[in-house]
Amino acid sequence: MGSVDLLSLVQSGFTGETVLACLEVSKMQGWVRTTRYLAIISKSGSSAFFVLTSTRVPPISPADVSVEGIVPIDSNFKFELDTETQHEDGHDLYLSVSSNKSKLLFEMMPSSKSNAFVGELYKAVDNVVRKSGPLEYNWLNRYPPVIRHDCSDNGLKEEVQDSVVDSPDSLSLPRESIAKGSTPIAARESVIRYMMSKKEDQYMYKQSFRIFVGTWNVNGQSPTADLTEWLSCDVDPPDIYAIGFQELDLSTEAFLFNDTPRENEWYKAVVSGLHNGAKYTRVKLVRLVGMMLVVFVQEKLRQYVTGVACDTVGTGIMGKMGNKGGVGVRLDFHSTSICFVNAHLAAHVEEYERRNQDYRDIYSRMCFSSHHPPKTIKDHDHIYWLGDLNYRITEIDPKYVKDCVERDSFQKVLEYDQLIKQCRAQTVFVGFKEGSITFKPTYKYDTGTDNWDSSEKNRAPAWCDRILWKGESIEQIEYRSHPFLKISDHKPVSSLFDAKVRIIDAVKYRKIHEEVMKKLDKLENEFLPQVTVETTEITFDTVQFLVPQSKNLIIANTGQVPVKFEFIKKLDDPYYCKDWLNIEPYLGDVIPGEKCEVKVEVRVDKKSAYKLNSGQDQLYDILVLHLEGGKDIFITVSGNYERSCFGTSLETLASIKEPIREISLGSIIDKEKKKDSFSSGEGTYAVPKEVWFLVDHLYRHGTKAKHLFVQPGLHSEIYDIRDWLDNGSQESLPGSVYSVAEALLLLFESCPEPVIPYEMHTACLNCASNFMQCKQIIQGLTYHRKNVFIYLCSFLRELLSHSDDNGLDTKTLAALFGGIFMRDKPVPRDVSKPRSSQQQLDRKKSIFIYHFLVNDYPDLLPPLVSS
Amino acid sequence: MFCFANNMAREYDHLFKLLIIGDSGVGKSSLLLRFADNTFTGNYITTIGVDFKIRTIELNGERVKLQIWDTAGQERFRTITSTYYRGTHGVIVVYDVTSGESFANVKRWLHEIEQNCEVVNRVLVGNKNDAPDSKVVLTEDAQRFADQMSIQLFETSAKENVNVEEMFLAITKQVLRSKKERKERQGIPNSDTVNLRKPNKSKRKFC
Repeated sequence: MGSVDLLSLVQSGFTGETVLACLEVSKMQGWVRTTRYLAIISKSGSSAFFVLTSTRVPPISPADVSVEGIVPIDSNFKFELDTETQHEDGHDLYLSVSSNKSKLLFEMMPSSKSNAFVGELYKAVDNVVRKSGPLEYNWLNRYPPVIRHDCSDNGLKEEVQDSVVDSPDSLSLPRESIAKGSTPIAARESVIRYMMSKKEDQYMYKQSFRIFVGTWNVNGQSPTADLTEWLSCDVDPPDIYAIGFQELDLSTEAFLFNDTPRENEWYKAVVSGLHNGAKYTRVKLVRLVGMMLVVFVQEKLRQYVTGVACDTVGTGIMGKMGNKGGVGVRLDFHSTSICFVNAHLAAHVEEYERRNQDYRDIYSRMCFSSHHPPKTIKDHDHIYWLGDLNYRITEIDPKYVKDCVERDSFQKVLEYDQLIKQCRAQTVFVGFKEGSITFKPTYKYDTGTDNWDSSEKNRAPAWCDRILWKGESIEQIEYRSHPFLKISDHKPVSSLFDAKVRIIDAVKYRKIHEEVMKKLDKLENEFLPQVTVETTEITFDTVQFLVPQSKNLIIANTGQVPVKFEFIKKLDDPYYCKDWLNIEPYLGDVIPGEKCEVKVEVRVDKKSAYKLNSGQDQLYDILVLHLEGGKDIFITVSGNYERSCFGTSLETLASIKEPIREISLGSIIDKEKKKDSFSSGEGTYAVPKEVWFLVDHLYRHGTKAKHLFVQPGLHSEIYDIRDWLDNGSQESLPGSVYSVAEALLLLFESCPEPVIPYEMHTACLNCASNFMQCKQIIQGLTYHRKNVFIYLCSFLRELLSHSDDNGLDTKTLAALFGGIFMRDKPVPRDVSKPRSSQQQLDRKKSIFIYHFLVNDYPDLLPPLVSS
Repeated sequence: MFCFANNMAREYDHLFKLLIIGDSGVGKSSLLLRFADNTFTGNYITTIGVDFKIRTIELNGERVKLQIWDTAGQERFRTITSTYYRGTHGVIVVYDVTSGESFANVKRWLHEIEQNCEVVNRVLVGNKNDAPDSKVVLTEDAQRFADQMSIQLFETSAKENVNVEEMFLAITKQVLRSKKERKERQGIPNSDTVNLRKPNKSKRKFC
């Protein structure tokens, strides 16, 4: 869904109000993030920050959307963009929004949409600053109070909040939703920051510091007077000094080139005027033309001052020149951010609106860009605003003013003070405080005297030079002027503050931080994939050749998150289990509370029988059940394999006179080891008795059976035949001739090597067209193999002599037995050979055999014994 | 789909893999459970496989995330568990102070480490040190052996939560120290000589 669609969709839900911007974000709530839609909505000149939820993501109709929370964008509204926690993959931009004590944190994807949204947010906040007159938020009243966040204008305070802001300790999680994967887990780092900020009260304490703020318009004069009367008039030395000057230098050079010798002169005068009860160090000095601000801190406290930055804003000629404007210094003192602004606002009695405008320009334009993201004045906990604000006393007879102030009756006159009036109207300095004025107006005097300006203008004296502040835990101790300093037409003003600054208790902080980390670690551990299997030992009793057996393994997800499991390879094994084992499915997903049944099947077939018969392998395997991102479980599979003639070498079979099950496994293993020494044939049968039993049975009962070897037998009969051969019996061989024929083929196929050994295959295929050479190869076979080959071929020729009855043809049998006598080497699982080359191989194999089915070869015989 | 791995980019300064090995039943899982979750259960459940838990700790202002692997101690799994030594920064070899046999087997376990790891930090832990009457492996003997092998010894009780935190902190410090030493060693030649050729491509093996 595009932003335009979202915007218009949300707009259609708000009739009478304008939706300025809309954005999909994730709200960070403790440990999890949930999808929310943010909207900036405005009406009658004011705007508010809406947090919306939707029953569908993304919403399709306005009915899906409901309002979860509202934060009016007023003077208390603050927001911050946090790019510091940006992750390596470039995601995640954090937007934290606060209003008084409410705090919300959102995560958004950096994009043009989010840029646009933040842009609108900046504009809306700017609007609050720039707007003259109080803003109207009554339109928000139509929303239930529970979702409104601290509408200061309506007297709605914190008790109505907190449906959106969660409590510090709430780690209540939508586990189910997390489990389904629909609630993503928030970035750990952001959770830690969030939780630490919620617990601030537990590791932060407040300590009072004395802050001296002074301002003086020096009217271009040199510092010929001692400043101690102004700067050191208190008994105790202040901790921090912020001293501002205006009209430091009225020369054209200073104005044009921003360069003046006065800076150093006054700086020196200030330094020598500082309280001698403590040592001070300069934090920062900033000057724009005639406006200078210098901040000092007691030397012993310097280490707690960080993040010092300054900026200047000119609002003079053309709205930029430095004859008017402001200079600011910001710093972090312990954990409280402090901003000092020294301003010189527009002059002239009637120009109060111009002064309001200058204030707003300074307030919004001053930017400490060395911070990321840049900080503006409003981003500070404590703001001190000092300077020649130039507000005058108007609409009252100047003579009356002078009379009143002579009698120290300031109250009547202050009723006409422009600044007080403008503040009341909330057109300027919204949220700032000023102490009551108990000193004479500071302007305008005849230089060098305490007499009011005697020029012909006859203006009313005024309190041009003021000090205001904004922020919690600031108490004004003194607010006064210093009339003994007479070198200027203004009198200096100073204020002493008792400011409570937040300090981190390092020990407590570490302890709480550790607790938070532990909590998250615990949670992270809880969210590791977790399963239980009902057994880690799967035991099969007796496993017989070809007979599959299976057991079910139930993998139950007992954890909190979806699990991806897989049986994995261990060590250097080529496969995750041995070839007589099959696991279905060997990988899968299980959601919490659900189970997955895995079938573990043992089946010893022609490929795996020999290794088990010969003792090279055992029915024993350890499977590794791996959970993605989690643990591994070892599952042991074991069983007893019943040895069989199937999967035994021709040589060993020929050397055994008894049924195979009557001999111990040890002696079979022994025979298999020594099988090459039987090649002379001494003391052995010419062909294995099992081969003879089967062939003889077919010779006697099956030569006329239709499609012998082509038509398959029955599994159960093949099992019976296997038992008959393995155990020996007085009864006749069970099963149909088709089953017997198949058992014969299987007997050859399960031998460790085909009748013609692997290493001779290439030679066979190369000479397949030449019967003489083919005969030579057969001549070269070992005793038992040659016998078996000739015995079988003779039997096949016998079969073909009955082709009228059995319908067999030479080519079919040649192809079939080509594949049996020259069986290919087993290929590992999952590997397939190209088909075309396989076809060519098969054709050559069948040509090789074909010779022996159509030709006589008396030269190869000694004839077979058939008893 | 959530994934911790993606979100871990900035949450720690170091990530170390620790491995707990030792005979079956000496209390490897209990030590891990005590350290990671601060819990203990008297019920003995054999670990059939390998499991891990995480714990983040702060050491000298640096955040260290530990991924601690607990392995099956049974003999029949030994060849399989040896594959889990790869990439391990520190190994905790555990014996049971009430079982002489488990202590005698420590040598084999140490050998196992040598076989499967190149360089590794180790610590020797005598667990179940909470019942003096049944203790058979004397501290002096264990200490003498530990000194011989130049390995730090801790006697712990996962049950009573004694020395567990200290032991894990010690091995973590060891791992951190050796990481820093290695970094320093690598740093020195760079400052002395200028290598104009391509950087050495041979991969370092971490263990």
